[in-house]
Amino acid sequence: MSDQDIKNINSTGFFALLIGLVALAFSIYGIFSGLDSEDPARGFLSWLIGLSFWLSIALGLLFITQIWYVFHARWPTIIRRQCEHFLSVFPWLFILFIPLFVIPQMIGEPGILWKWLDGSNLLPGGHGTVQEDPLYQWKSIYLNSNAFIIRAVIYFLVFFGLSYFLRKWSFDTDKTGDIQNTHKARRLSSVGLFLLATASTLAGIDWFKSLDYHWFSTMYGVWFFAASMRAALSVILIFCIVVSAKGYMKGTFKQAHRYDLGCMMLAFTIFWAYISFSQYFLIYNANIPEETYWYNIREHDGYGVKNTWWAISLLLIFAHFIIPFLLLLWYKTKVVVSRLVFVAIWILTFHLVDLYWNLIPGKVIDLTASHGYYIRQFSVEIFDIAAIVGVGGICIWSVCRSMLKAEPIPIKDPNILKSLNHSE
Amino acid sequence: MSEEIYGMVASFKDTPSLYHAAEKVRDAGFKYWDTYSSFPVHGMPEAQGQARSKVPIFTFIGGLTGLTLGTAMVWYMNAFDYPLIVGGYPFFSPVFPFPIMYELTILLAAFGTLGGMFIMNLLPQHYNSLFNCAKFLEVSDERLMIAIEAKDGQYNHEATKQFLESIGGFDIEEVKA
Repeated sequence: MSDQDIKNINSTGFFALLIGLVALAFSIYGIFSGLDSEDPARGFLSWLIGLSFWLSIALGLLFITQIWYVFHARWPTIIRRQCEHFLSVFPWLFILFIPLFVIPQMIGEPGILWKWLDGSNLLPGGHGTVQEDPLYQWKSIYLNSNAFIIRAVIYFLVFFGLSYFLRKWSFDTDKTGDIQNTHKARRLSSVGLFLLATASTLAGIDWFKSLDYHWFSTMYGVWFFAASMRAALSVILIFCIVVSAKGYMKGTFKQAHRYDLGCMMLAFTIFWAYISFSQYFLIYNANIPEETYWYNIREHDGYGVKNTWWAISLLLIFAHFIIPFLLLLWYKTKVVVSRLVFVAIWILTFHLVDLYWNLIPGKVIDLTASHGYYIRQFSVEIFDIAAIVGVGGICIWSVCRSMLKAEPIPIKDPNILKSLNHSE
Repeated sequence: MSEEIYGMVASFKDTPSLYHAAEKVRDAGFKYWDTYSSFPVHGMPEAQGQARSKVPIFTFIGGLTGLTLGTAMVWYMNAFDYPLIVGGYPFFSPVFPFPIMYELTILLAAFGTLGGMFIMNLLPQHYNSLFNCAKFLEVSDERLMIAIEAKDGQYNHEATKQFLESIGGFDIEEVKA
């Protein structure tokens, strides 16, 4: 790297950190200013959206790095290094996760975001409290405050542990050229994939699905995996194209790499649709009220009048699946830089909509409403954007910091030649 | 018919010379010609100036046919010919027949791909004039060849022979149809 590159990376990182901290401060203000409103959970949901957006990207990249190791994939060696920079974000994401749990405890309303954290919370529709809810009583062995904290720490230990060693061994190879590092990373990945799959599935259940703890779906963990992979592939593609345009990876990131990443984007677009549809299809066919209500609140208000989520649901089918699917079928889309970047940004945008659709809807108690509750509708709050930008700023700062610690591509990796000479 | 000429073949000593010769044949503007080797050569389609394969079009048409067929079939059977109430669901909806729709999409897309591959490769073909050339049989071993067909507008016995020599070809001979 030239001095100019180092200077650019340093200043980008500094600005990202600055913007990130300001946006996060604004986001915290949003949480506290929303406490007096009729829906105090919305501010926390903004923060959760921002956090889960970047967490899903980082998790997807951790998955793909290990998948490449396990399959001994040679072509993505130069891309793997860029993934490794993103893997540095987990400690910061952990710190950003803490407020979601600690702020509700501090203000004395532990169940403000995750309703089941407070047994005295009222159930929507006048069915008593959470403590008296048989569905909660059966689940309380898993869904309780202590288990929640312990599990969250374990998840982040798994994420951080895997990313720490994968980064360390890969960066060490730059200096020593020791092939044992690659072997060790491969062995770790073959175990790590199981650990990560378990941790990310349970994390999805703990942090996202338990927002509505009545509902259960065995597809939820794999939905989170599929969504994460789509977001991760889009981000790493944009990242590689941006840095190679800046001269950092110029000439090494080629059409063949773009094409293969494009193919993976197509594959995971189909996979996401398959998983999301299967989840809907099973619940639709079984037709059990404990499960169908989750889709019902995402369609109508209880009297058959469509609500805002109906439009978002259709948008997900058409804009998050059919349009990117048809675009990515086309060979030209997978090799022409501008088209590929367009599709990647498109997928990221609708990944965010997918997160909104999964996390935001819920029953908000309002005794003046006809059922005693109303369904939280789709809205993009200024604090959502603040949280997304804020967490993103911290992540980009962390990536820039990591970029200064290693070579732009793993120059002494045993597979580097295969990657540099990759052809379609 | 036995006197009719199929084309002219030339051999090349190694892969790079075959590759660069192919580029020169392409630049000379020949249309009906091909390279022959016993192993794939990376980048040869570009050196031969070939456009991308048309097979994906067959795949897409096959898939679209399957999707339409699956939808129409379920609609015809469940909503038109013999309307049946199952589990309180509507007679027709895009949700429950979806597995049938996409399975047929995949099946017919695969048939389209297979059929398209045969059509674009002009298969099955039981006779090829190149087998009249004894040296051509060595292509399956180690010989690397370029064959220019006589039906190409630019084909001319003397000029083509000189051209093949000039781009490094040897063992040049004419093949009977």
